[in-house]
Amino acid sequence: MTVDAEHCITCGDIAVTATVVHVDGATATVDVDGARERVGIELVEPVAVGEQLLCHAGIALQKIADAP
Amino acid sequence: MRFVDEFRSGELAQKLAHELVTLVEPGRTMKLMEVCGGHTHTIYKHGIEDLVPPEIDFVHGPGCPVCVIPMGRVDDAIALAERPEVIFTTFGDMLRVPGGRGSLLEAKARGADVRMVYSPLDALELARRNPAREVIFFAIGFETTAPSTAVTVLRARAEGIRNFSAFCNHVTIGPPLKAILDSPGLQIDAFIAPGHVSTVVGTRPYDFIARDYGKPVVVTAFEPIDILHATVMLVRQLREGRCEVENQYTRVVRRDGNPRAIAALEETMELRDTFEWRGLGWIAHSALKLRPELADWDAEARFELPGTRIEDPKACQCGEVLIGAIKPWECKVFGTACTPERPIGTCMVSSEGACAAYYNYGRLQRRRDRVPA
Repeated sequence: MTVDAEHCITCGDIAVTATVVHVDGATATVDVDGARERVGIELVEPVAVGEQLLCHAGIALQKIADAP
Repeated sequence: MRFVDEFRSGELAQKLAHELVTLVEPGRTMKLMEVCGGHTHTIYKHGIEDLVPPEIDFVHGPGCPVCVIPMGRVDDAIALAERPEVIFTTFGDMLRVPGGRGSLLEAKARGADVRMVYSPLDALELARRNPAREVIFFAIGFETTAPSTAVTVLRARAEGIRNFSAFCNHVTIGPPLKAILDSPGLQIDAFIAPGHVSTVVGTRPYDFIARDYGKPVVVTAFEPIDILHATVMLVRQLREGRCEVENQYTRVVRRDGNPRAIAALEETMELRDTFEWRGLGWIAHSALKLRPELADWDAEARFELPGTRIEDPKACQCGEVLIGAIKPWECKVFGTACTPERPIGTCMVSSEGACAAYYNYGRLQRRRDRVPA
């Protein structure tokens, strides 16, 4: 995943919000602030294009609900 | 950026800071432990400590997985990395962590094939492309990171990839919190619980803190507004004499977490009888290992490890920092012999470590100069 130099990937705090742009089996291509990345979606399937996912270390951990 | 900008609003921060001023009781200090190193980082990066009333004291907890890895496990990783057939993969954060025999970066300089990855799935791809080599992934982290290891091992098994294995050092959040709560002379009033661990495990694992120890808990995320909001929620609980587990991070965290992630962890891993934590010692049932039926993908089962136990450097007080007994600047070597460029202890190595957060944001000594709310 894209991370800045200040953050530690081992700790999960740098999990990032990503928007699904394409789904291919258990892998989705996501947009993270303009960058495209591929993440495993086994833990959140099914996902649809346009959905927002919380991603960390190459997998999606959760779907993001609209901010209150 | 959505879900970021609105949680960095200066106007909202001032409102929350003002609310805190009205909530605290002058002279009654409230010690709030932020469990996760990411929270510590946010508190100092965004100057939250200067924004809140002096009655609120943030105490930094043990939730930095890089900081709590014992030096002996780093030496085990180096021993694996130095095997000629091995491509040893790790998150970048672990490269500079000193063991008894130096760091993985130094092993790489000596010729070991050590490579940085952003995901264990990248390590699995390396295994696909290098069938003649053994690719080992240094699996470290709490329940946020463990699911990526679980998914990767399940994919390796499904695809029959036999030259991939994980050196599993995943840890769990509940037992170290219990160890801190059981420590004599505990002065923590309430807990700010980690957001992304809770994305996976939910909020139930913290119930015992409120029920058995009478300490309020609020699960929160990592933006400054999140932490200020959680602080308001905790101070309200303390003022009203309530003691509950509340969830501030409702946009992601559900009460039961992500059941599918929990199932993937249960399918692939089981609790170790005990595991050593730097600064906290041996804690029962606090770490995960791969299940015996997955031994083909378990580096510990497949390769011999030195398994040596190494005492922390005497000058280093990381252990006391990790349980909130002292502030980083109170350590004898903080900012002098121990700096991010030449760290002695892991709290200075990891960018999320409390010492690195203090050092990088100029907290070389305690300062509470504040702007009127």
